[in-house]
Amino acid sequence: MIACGQFALLLAFFLSGYAVFADIAGSWRREAGLIKSARNATWATLLCLTVAMAALWVLLIGSDFSVVYVAENTSLHLPLAYKFSALWAGAAGSLLFWLWLQVGFGVIAWCIGERHNRIFAARARAIVNFVSMFFLLIMINDRNPFETSPSPLAEGQGLNPLLQHPAMVLHPPILFVGYAAFLVPFAWAYAWLKEPAGLAPMLKAARNWTLVAWLFLTAGIVLGAWWAYEELGWGGYWAWDPVENASLLPWLTSTALLHCFRLYKTRSGVAVWTMVLGILTFSLCIFGRFLTKYGLVSSVHAFPDPGLGILYMVLLVLLWVVAGVLIAMKYLGRKESVEPAAPAHRYVVYNNWLLVALTFVILVGTLFPFLTQVAIRIVNAVSTTPASIAPVTLEPSFFTRITAPGGLLLLFFIGACPHLIRRGVSVHWRVMAGVACLAAAAIVWLRTCGLDAPRPEGFAAVMGWWAQWLLSGEPQVPYFILCGYVFVNLIADLAGRTAGRGLRWYGARIVHFGVAMMFIGIAGSGGYGVETAVAMTEGQKITIQNALAETEGKKTAIPNYELTFDKLQGDHGPNYTAATAVISVSKDGKPVTTLRPAKAVYSPSGKAISEIDVRRTLAGDLYLAVTDVNVSARMINLRVMVKPLINWIWIGSGFMAIGTLMVIGAVLKPKQKAGVQSAEAAP
Amino acid sequence: MKALVLVKWVIGIAAIGGGLTFFMVQAMQSSWSYYYTVDEFVSGSEKIRNAPVRLAGKVKPGTAVKDMQTLRLTFTLAGKEAEIPVAYTGIVPDNFAEDIEVVVQGRLEPSGTFKADSVMTRCESKYKAKVE
Repeated sequence: MIACGQFALLLAFFLSGYAVFADIAGSWRREAGLIKSARNATWATLLCLTVAMAALWVLLIGSDFSVVYVAENTSLHLPLAYKFSALWAGAAGSLLFWLWLQVGFGVIAWCIGERHNRIFAARARAIVNFVSMFFLLIMINDRNPFETSPSPLAEGQGLNPLLQHPAMVLHPPILFVGYAAFLVPFAWAYAWLKEPAGLAPMLKAARNWTLVAWLFLTAGIVLGAWWAYEELGWGGYWAWDPVENASLLPWLTSTALLHCFRLYKTRSGVAVWTMVLGILTFSLCIFGRFLTKYGLVSSVHAFPDPGLGILYMVLLVLLWVVAGVLIAMKYLGRKESVEPAAPAHRYVVYNNWLLVALTFVILVGTLFPFLTQVAIRIVNAVSTTPASIAPVTLEPSFFTRITAPGGLLLLFFIGACPHLIRRGVSVHWRVMAGVACLAAAAIVWLRTCGLDAPRPEGFAAVMGWWAQWLLSGEPQVPYFILCGYVFVNLIADLAGRTAGRGLRWYGARIVHFGVAMMFIGIAGSGGYGVETAVAMTEGQKITIQNALAETEGKKTAIPNYELTFDKLQGDHGPNYTAATAVISVSKDGKPVTTLRPAKAVYSPSGKAISEIDVRRTLAGDLYLAVTDVNVSARMINLRVMVKPLINWIWIGSGFMAIGTLMVIGAVLKPKQKAGVQSAEAAP
Repeated sequence: MKALVLVKWVIGIAAIGGGLTFFMVQAMQSSWSYYYTVDEFVSGSEKIRNAPVRLAGKVKPGTAVKDMQTLRLTFTLAGKEAEIPVAYTGIVPDNFAEDIEVVVQGRLEPSGTFKADSVMTRCESKYKAKVE
């Protein structure tokens, strides 16, 4: 079985290498025979990878601990579902799974029924196989899932109980489907660079792929956030950790890419944007993998183990060089001109710039420790005095503050652009309302800005002071204002003209509705959330406002819950013992609910995990976590959080998913209504 | 003509990029902390020791004390050679334990104790089973 898997990987490497050669040679020399054999080779690669995956599954489920990967990620008594999902639990297996998905998508995109343009498909397929080669190189030599250990253990190391949660089982594969699927638009972009007109017949397909990939990426990110909120007990869902940012960056560029399809015309500026964003998105997927696995930046999620991870960067650089050469050949050699853009295009372009700016800001922030390290090395190499600073890490507050204005602008675009694209800037109530909302948001923001420091002297210092003052504003109410603007626009859309409506029209609006809901949830829970920690003994009663007054010294508008620590009871499960604090919650004297946060100790490892309990309402969550228990003294340390409006994040993401499915469903229909719906690509 | 368009592009990007960079730098001001190991920090200069920093080290076995009444955690953060006492009031991650790697963020107090604003542990996607 092990040998079978090893051999399958090796064979896949050679097959994909051959396929690259055959596709490039075949498309260059227009030889159908070569292209056909490349197609077959790609099929064969997929078959080999399937065999490898099946072999790994057999080893995992059979608990063959002579294989290092199996020993590291499973244990004998691990429930079967988790042995199965261990395929993607570790680096080596997840790489195999990701690659299998990529080649699978490549086969679906370009090996099944590419009637339109075999040469165009051949070029795109070459890219897929090229990427496969690198992945396989890394896998075979460095992260081999079939590596055996010279001294096999009798028992595996098992899976951290924190990860034994449905969301954590689904989160990696869903993300990988998204990442892998973005290879398709990426490869298409390269084929387009060689032959722009070739994309036109496949535009719908390209749009579909991007939609599906985007849906999976969004779902994967939200699942991760949901798990963090439920399982980790710190009451948050996003920490701007490098691994999290690595998934957000391609999400931002792919959102821009999605909107480009709407106004795509070959040889137009938007077409260039489409290709650039397509290339950028998958590049960010790979770069994200490199960032976290290669240990470029330390993260609580990253387990740096450099090895051959540098090959990811080599792959990226090679691919960009190829793209650069193709672009140079196209635009500099033959002096091809770009068609003048229709006025409507500019709004898509503004949107793209905004999303790219956000991507840039988050990327720089994430890489900042690495960049400062590089700067230090340069300074040390160049000057005689050693640099007096150390690598710098940026706190999450950097990210929240720098992205806050961007989010407001995004909401403005969501509300205004559909109208602007159709009618342009005019004295229309939608435009007026948009400007008014922006102005109102700005006024509220400025009123909440506050800075203790006195204004300094000197131009640069004053500029800095103003910037700090601006950055200190509270964004909650501005966000509510702009979300309201989006809602008003959506309602007006519903009430307005009925011509040209279809599944796609409704779907797009539902997605944007979901986005606005998410922002309401984010602003509410982030801006008005409170948290405190208290020590309680059995029978003790506290009110949240009092607890907050002691620790934070500020008044808040949240409901004043009264928490009574009724009793501490012991629970047992199949593999854990838990101390559960039974807490009665009441508001204004009326009992509301009973929550049972617990601290559970899992038997194989002896690790203690805090099992939170939450009271969820649309208005917000009351979130309790037991951080410490002293059984003999009947005392607990309780973390209490109130998170207003947080459930709108999950509800909003649900709407986003539903809306996206509707748009995908519409785009899958064979015939499209001409005119109002998407622009057809003109060759 | 083409040169003019190019110049407009360059100026536009420079202006936006410049503005963006300026704001980013400003946003970084109160959000950044230097990242040191315990050894580097303890043997570092005055300036280093007075700045907000993140320190990486291990929780020295036998030194972690949690007072449940005051919710205060004290422990010694150990590097390869140097060590530093840390005091922290607040939320401690579930997997905080002795002899593990942690990153603390905060400032050194005049008393010589490092006052931590946050304590971070590694998210363990795999853990090593206790050696029996």
